[in-house]
Parts: sequence; C-alpha cells; structure tokens
Amino acid sequence: MTRNAKIAALIAAGLTLAGAATYAVAQSASLISVALSEGQVGEQADGYLGIRGPSTSALRAEVDALNIKRRAAYTGLAEQRGVTIKDVAAATGCETLAKRVPVGRAYLMPDGVWRVRKAGETISLPGYCVS
Amino acid sequence: MMKLVPLLTAATAALLAGCVQVSAPEKPIEINLNINVKQEVIVRLQKDAQDLITSNPELFPQ
Repeated sequence: MTRNAKIAALIAAGLTLAGAATYAVAQSASLISVALSEGQVGEQADGYLGIRGPSTSALRAEVDALNIKRRAAYTGLAEQRGVTIKDVAAATGCETLAKRVPVGRAYLMPDGVWRVRKAGETISLPGYCVS
Repeated sequence: MMKLVPLLTAATAALLAGCVQVSAPEKPIEINLNINVKQEVIVRLQKDAQDLITSNPELFPQ
C-alpha cells in the first residue's frame, strides 16, 4: 500500500464513522420527535422530558441522554446566577409548558399527572411560574 | 375588717378571671415562605430560561 493509498483509506474510514454518527443522531432525534407527536414523550414542569406510559429501552436511552444535556446546560446557568440547578430547571419548565407544548402533546404537572393539551386550552402553570 | 375579706376575695377572683392565659405552643410556629422565595427566583430566571431554550434548540425538540 502506498502512502497515499493509506491516507485515502484512513479518510474513507473517518467518513464512514462520521456518517454513522450523523445517522445515529438523526435517528435519536426522530425517535423523540415521533414520541412527542404521539404524546408518548412530553415536557415536565421540572424542566426535563419525560416518558408517559410504557416505553422501549431505545427511547428511554435517548430521553435520558437529552435530559443529561439539559442538566448540563442548567448547571452552567445555575452556577452563573448563584441559584440551584432545580430552580433553573423549574424556570425552564415554566417556559416549555407555557410556549412549547402544542395542542395534542402531553405534559406533566407537579402533581404527577400527565395531561394532553386540548384545542384552545391554555395550560394553567404551577403557582411559582411567572404569569 | 370583716367586711373587707369578702371584698378582697371578690376582687381577686375578678382579677384572675380577667387574666388572659397564654401558654407556649407545643409545636414550634412554622411560617412557610418557600413559595414566595421560589417565585422570586423564577422571576429572575425567566429571561435566562428563555435564552437557554433559544440558544440550545437541539435540547428542546418539538
């Protein structure tokens, strides 16, 4: 194998890996978005995504992975502002419940009950949220 | 003097009846301010939370 052929092989291997990774990411995003549109996954008042009812381990893994990323983002902001991660997460939960739950999607309130937003319904936010 | 005794007794009884009995409560008095404190923190964080969502759209799929 010439030097150039080796480099070409390495590049090809790299591209294959990158392609696989992109595919995996696209795959995970679609798992969650399909579950969201079916009301199987929804936003929780605590600022994280949750699974409503039974789930597959693949979906559970994707939701967990996304929540870990959310927690990292909350942690950064909490440190900047000198508040708890829980407060940042709850403030974000107020926002997602207020603005990011379309009609037909599921959401979880602090009472632990999953609800589905009905047409024309405004979600009554937890008392600590800014109205 | 003999007249004074019943008078004094009556006065003492009246004084005692007029007393308001204050006894320390058995449980400590708790005032729950958690909700107000939480709301204040959330108000302060509202803008930050909005920015966090818009700058990390991949974390908030729809």
